[in-house]
Amino acid sequence: MTKPTPKEIKAMADVAGVPVDAEAAARIAHSIGPAFEGFAAIAGTLPFDLEPASFLVVQTTKVSK
Amino acid sequence: MSAEPALLSLTEVAQAIAQKRFSSREVTKSCLDRIAQWQPRLNAFLAIEPDEALAAADAADAALAKGNARGALHGVPLAHKDMYYDAGRIVTCGSKIRRDFVATSTSTALQRLKDAGTIRLGSLQMVEFAYGPTGHNAHYGAVHNPWGLDHITGGSSSGSGSAVAARLTFAALGSDTGGSIRMPAHFCGVTGLKTTYGRISRAGAMPLSQSLDTVGPLARTAEDCALLLGLMAGADPHDPTAAAEPVPDYVAATRESITGLTIGVPSAFYVDDLDPEVERILDETIAVLKREGANIVQVELPDQRQLAAAAQLVVAVEASAFHKRWLIERPQDYGPQVLMRLQNGLAIPGVSYLEAMRWRGPALAAYLAAVAGTDAVIVPGAPVPAPTLAESDVGNGPDAEAVIQRLTRFTRPVNYLGLPSLAIPSGFTKNGLPVGMQLIGRSFDEAMLLRIGAAFQRATDFHERVPEPA
Repeated sequence: MTKPTPKEIKAMADVAGVPVDAEAAARIAHSIGPAFEGFAAIAGTLPFDLEPASFLVVQTTKVSK
Repeated sequence: MSAEPALLSLTEVAQAIAQKRFSSREVTKSCLDRIAQWQPRLNAFLAIEPDEALAAADAADAALAKGNARGALHGVPLAHKDMYYDAGRIVTCGSKIRRDFVATSTSTALQRLKDAGTIRLGSLQMVEFAYGPTGHNAHYGAVHNPWGLDHITGGSSSGSGSAVAARLTFAALGSDTGGSIRMPAHFCGVTGLKTTYGRISRAGAMPLSQSLDTVGPLARTAEDCALLLGLMAGADPHDPTAAAEPVPDYVAATRESITGLTIGVPSAFYVDDLDPEVERILDETIAVLKREGANIVQVELPDQRQLAAAAQLVVAVEASAFHKRWLIERPQDYGPQVLMRLQNGLAIPGVSYLEAMRWRGPALAAYLAAVAGTDAVIVPGAPVPAPTLAESDVGNGPDAEAVIQRLTRFTRPVNYLGLPSLAIPSGFTKNGLPVGMQLIGRSFDEAMLLRIGAAFQRATDFHERVPEPA
């Protein structure tokens, strides 16, 4: 997973209907870059059948010490 | 017992009113006197309602005289973070956009406290839309830390932390999406409980990130948090994400010994790059828990940086989605930092967001496997004591997000995993600033954290210290 560039961010914000100027796009890229880098090892590795609701299954499974 | 009712704990004052040792009016007047003294220094309240509060106190006293106590907190005055909808009242959410918003319903958490007999002192300050960890607010001014007025309170439950620390309210509701209860608890020296995701209904609480938002109390003691949690927890037809898990007797849990319990200390991440005073206080806290009979073991946790990154992806997207209409129609009405952070979510692809959501189950399973054999894990609330207001006033500058992420790096992983965490006052720096530790537990096992926190508070007096007006 690569972090989006300011140019890509500008296009994404336009598509989202909330346009940002070039300065804001650069600032956003700088802000969210570390989150993309931190998650890079996970992105693209998850198994096919995994749903977000699996979280609730794990959460409510009784786990003893 | 203190002659000044406002200095009592929530549990003590509720008993004192029930036993008619203090009237609700005396207690409410005591809080209002302290609010008048402290508010000009702290800016902890958004609204103060002395006439209404005293009238409600008189009504509570009259009801009690007739034998009609409403519940466990009959006649106890409280104030809460101004994001809990209260029908017919203005709920600003710390924002300009909602400066005149009048709620049409009452949040479940607040209603359950009202049903227990609480009365309202006013409303507490917060970071705009609960989106920030320092306590700065572009519209209503920064909230000040009663232990050092030029220092931050932490946020986003800034008014809650400041007001509970200064003994202006016995407890306050906060909310925690990335650390917003535990940061103010850590920086202000109060006890704060971030509940398991789903433990308390979020109905009628302003949303920030529906997957990570949690409701919880800030109070003076673990016992007070236990009392409040027991009143608020449980299923709610107005919030399908509120869990139907049984609600145990949390107060009873606080009376149990911790002899034989096992507490884990992470070998990395939470112990890396700590301020020396935070490191010292972590060591001292562990020593106290050991003296109280707990076994201390080292635990190797999965990579917590990945959890923090995933949390950032989730919050950014969900917050932007909630705010999209106002981002289009009223961008000029946000403070610069909150606007900047809301714009961040626009740049995260849907697939990346959903990958972060899909990973939550395996990430929680891996964490639980790593802490198997322990009853809780102890980590600092933050790597540093409270910074000054000036050094943390980063606005929407280029490094603002980096500063925010550094401050919250010990709290965000817990939100991503949906786990409960109790922040307890654990010591003071040489400059007199409080430092707190988090006890992180298993899903829906708040009772264990409250048990350990209460045992620590029986052995220490950090939670009993009261700041003096400068």
